[in-house]
Amino acid sequence: MSGPLWDEMAELALNRARAAGVEYADIRLLDTTTHTINGEDRRIASIRDTSDRGFGIRVLHRGAWGFAASSILSFEEVPRVADLAVEIAKGSASLAIDKVHLAPEPVHRDRIVTACRLDPFAVPLEEQTSLLLNTMDLIQRHAGVVRSHASLWAQRDHKLFVSTEGSHLEFSLLAMQGDCSATAVHDGRFASRSFNTPHLRIGYELIREADFTREGARIAAQAVEKVRAPAVEAGRYDLVLDPEHLSLTMHESCGHPSELDRALGYEANYAGTSFLTPDKRGVYRYGSSHVNLVADNTEPDTLAATGYDDDGVSCQQWDIVREGIFVGYCTNREVAPRINEERSRGSNRADSWGSVPMVRIANIGLEPGPSTVDELLADVKRGIYIEGHGSYSIDQQRYNFQFGGDAFWLVENGRRTRMLRDVIYHGITPEFWGRCDGVADRTHRRRYGFITCGKGQPGQAGWMTHAASHARFRRVDVITGQVKG
Amino acid sequence: MTSAITTTWPRLTSRQEFDFLTDLVMEHSAGDHTFLSLRDVHGGTTRFANNQIIQNVHQRRGTLAITVAFGRRHGTATTSDFTAGAVRDTLTQAEAIARVSPEDPEYLPPVETQSYLLLPTFRPETSAAGPARRLDYAREAIGQCKMENLNAAGTVASSVAVAALAADTGLSAYEERTEGRFSLTVQAGEATGWSAAAHRSIDHLHVQERTLAAINKAKRGADDPQELPPGRYTVILEPAAVAGLLSWMIWMLDAKSFYKGTSPFSGKLGMRILDRRLSLLNQPDHADLLGHGFTSEGLPVIGSNWIEAGVLTQLLHDRYTAQDHHIDPLTTLESPCLSGERPLGTRVDDLVRTTQRGILVTNFWYIRPVNPSDLTLTGMTRDGTFLIENGEIVSAVRNFRFHESPLRVFNHVDAYTTPAEAVTSETGKALVPALRLHDFNFSSVTHF
Repeated sequence: MSGPLWDEMAELALNRARAAGVEYADIRLLDTTTHTINGEDRRIASIRDTSDRGFGIRVLHRGAWGFAASSILSFEEVPRVADLAVEIAKGSASLAIDKVHLAPEPVHRDRIVTACRLDPFAVPLEEQTSLLLNTMDLIQRHAGVVRSHASLWAQRDHKLFVSTEGSHLEFSLLAMQGDCSATAVHDGRFASRSFNTPHLRIGYELIREADFTREGARIAAQAVEKVRAPAVEAGRYDLVLDPEHLSLTMHESCGHPSELDRALGYEANYAGTSFLTPDKRGVYRYGSSHVNLVADNTEPDTLAATGYDDDGVSCQQWDIVREGIFVGYCTNREVAPRINEERSRGSNRADSWGSVPMVRIANIGLEPGPSTVDELLADVKRGIYIEGHGSYSIDQQRYNFQFGGDAFWLVENGRRTRMLRDVIYHGITPEFWGRCDGVADRTHRRRYGFITCGKGQPGQAGWMTHAASHARFRRVDVITGQVKG
Repeated sequence: MTSAITTTWPRLTSRQEFDFLTDLVMEHSAGDHTFLSLRDVHGGTTRFANNQIIQNVHQRRGTLAITVAFGRRHGTATTSDFTAGAVRDTLTQAEAIARVSPEDPEYLPPVETQSYLLLPTFRPETSAAGPARRLDYAREAIGQCKMENLNAAGTVASSVAVAALAADTGLSAYEERTEGRFSLTVQAGEATGWSAAAHRSIDHLHVQERTLAAINKAKRGADDPQELPPGRYTVILEPAAVAGLLSWMIWMLDAKSFYKGTSPFSGKLGMRILDRRLSLLNQPDHADLLGHGFTSEGLPVIGSNWIEAGVLTQLLHDRYTAQDHHIDPLTTLESPCLSGERPLGTRVDDLVRTTQRGILVTNFWYIRPVNPSDLTLTGMTRDGTFLIENGEIVSAVRNFRFHESPLRVFNHVDAYTTPAEAVTSETGKALVPALRLHDFNFSSVTHF
């Protein structure tokens, strides 16, 4: 169901809310289709197609929010849910101190469609399962590898957003991803190595163009090499981090602290607050002068580039960190005015029709520098080159972090020499970014998406893409990822 | 004071309605086997921060999953639309997937008719609670904090749900489940205090008592915290912190990984892995835990021993792995109770009083595995970390990062209390003691 029926339902909901005297209301109707294939140890363990439809109505009454949602898409259910959203808002208003005043936004009427060359929902299932089975078979033929995993995932969202201000936005969005991993055992321990395509808003061409055969063989060999590699010796090392690894480092240490709702205390009971408090904006040294972190929700194919957010605000590009100085937040229409910003940055998203939108990390990326990767490595006497994601943890204000990785190579006198295992580095966010003394050029830039960024109560999964070229960090504390004794 | 909100939601999918959907699917299914799984959840969360409501939501979500198998080829399709046409379309989609999916050597037909424990999973007071009751609890917590000139952030949640299963094998299961949750972070400057509760009955959240506990923690931490150097310390882990570490042990008990050599427990079944005084049980019928009668596949949830006197006696066996090893499958440990012989007392204070020097940890945050081979974990202390000297809390300390394996440090047990309720943001609910452990590794410290 969509098209005219959805428009009628939207009109019904908003008229009901208007009649109740609300200041603002919007409705999102969604029809989400997800296709997931999971392979494990040379077998297809599950194939699942999910259809999830419903609507959510958000109202602002006397400066306070109410939200109600239902998976029953009917003309009887819509007014009942609208009434409930109003009643809930009235309850919220009884405990409101700082009334919500939405930052102004022009009225938009638009239709957004993800461009794709090959619709993943039209690709024969046999082609997809064969790809995964062949990849897992290839991985497990490698001596020393005992387990394999391979998966494909695609999601299509048909969405209609309509607000009492007159915005009317239709979306037909697509996202795609694939991955595989190998696990090897040796001497009573085990280690894994993975290959992940980025999550991007493109079609099955993403999978066709990724060479799973080559990547499967590579990760199988590297899993065996990794499990047999010596553990790192604790100490201070120069680190050269690859774009996939950096995507997680940026996400945790820059993305989350730049969410304004966190900085204002909204997440104090769960995800935490932020050391980047509003008084630091424009004056606080977050990193070295090499560090330029830009939010760009307009870059084609990226997860947060949806044209408009769930406030109906158009996607934008802005600076988070400029030449090492913290200068900007991710905001929505509710929190932007609280720091005297005239317009929202358009970073308000919900993970489904049943969730209320909140500030989410934008597509934050590290701007390229002038170097090649070889030039970054050439100036390292004793260091470690890290690829991919591993262990990650950070405190609730986003100061103290600890990261692992998926693969590690010792760098000696400017050259990658041999693999290491159990590499963990830790630090304090601004001190760590202050140690960045070089970023590779645009030719090395890669993008990686996240679809499971956890935040909110009840928990929601946020989607965004982080792009980077390789970057070098001097004299970082490294420890070994095991406890003796 | 009770608020004026009286709106109620449509009733849950009834047993008769589920039977109707089952008959509809079975009548039209061409599969050798057909399995239905329904979830229908009505619930909401009232969330507050800075002493006011910031989010107030209520949702009704139904989901029906249909799995069809032709021989060992299987496929699953799900829908949130329970109308007859949508359900038939979903069945058709599941059949279409199953027809072209490769044979799965580990596929097993749905389980047959089972007998389940009849558990009090449904509490009418929780089912009846809606936005008004949640608002009242939020008002209570905020009001207490405002009186102390402190800042409250937290949530009150309530839900009622149906879980139902059916299969052509005769499997039929239907259970109504309610749940109430409360969590609160009290901020006193940079210091925070925290408390949380979860129960089938919303009447058992003890909001006033837990709010006072969080206030006391925050006030105690409000003085300038000391910065202590990283290193190995004697620690007292409150039940929430113990549950955080224990959860990762439970999540790693997967038998398939064990047999493949990719588990931290490989080679340790039947061996002592914890202090010999500690035992771990699954207690689905415990009134204060959130047990339910059947698993997602329709197997009965039963009381079971997992660690006895420190010895690992059981693994999480999926049905295929269990059959492969000729044992009965045990697929869940959702109502864990960790307990020890001859506890020192019933309260954390009983451990504090008998500690010469140590660190009291209220909770851990962002626990993640560092090394799955030996289950080394990392995470931060949160919401109340204190120095104990000569049996008394003498000051707050800045939060530490730990780098430690429960398989190592749960062998360094000095003393413990009786089990108490433990609820954290990243785990379910467990009954665990507070533990005093020596030689616990803090690897770094943060700025607050």
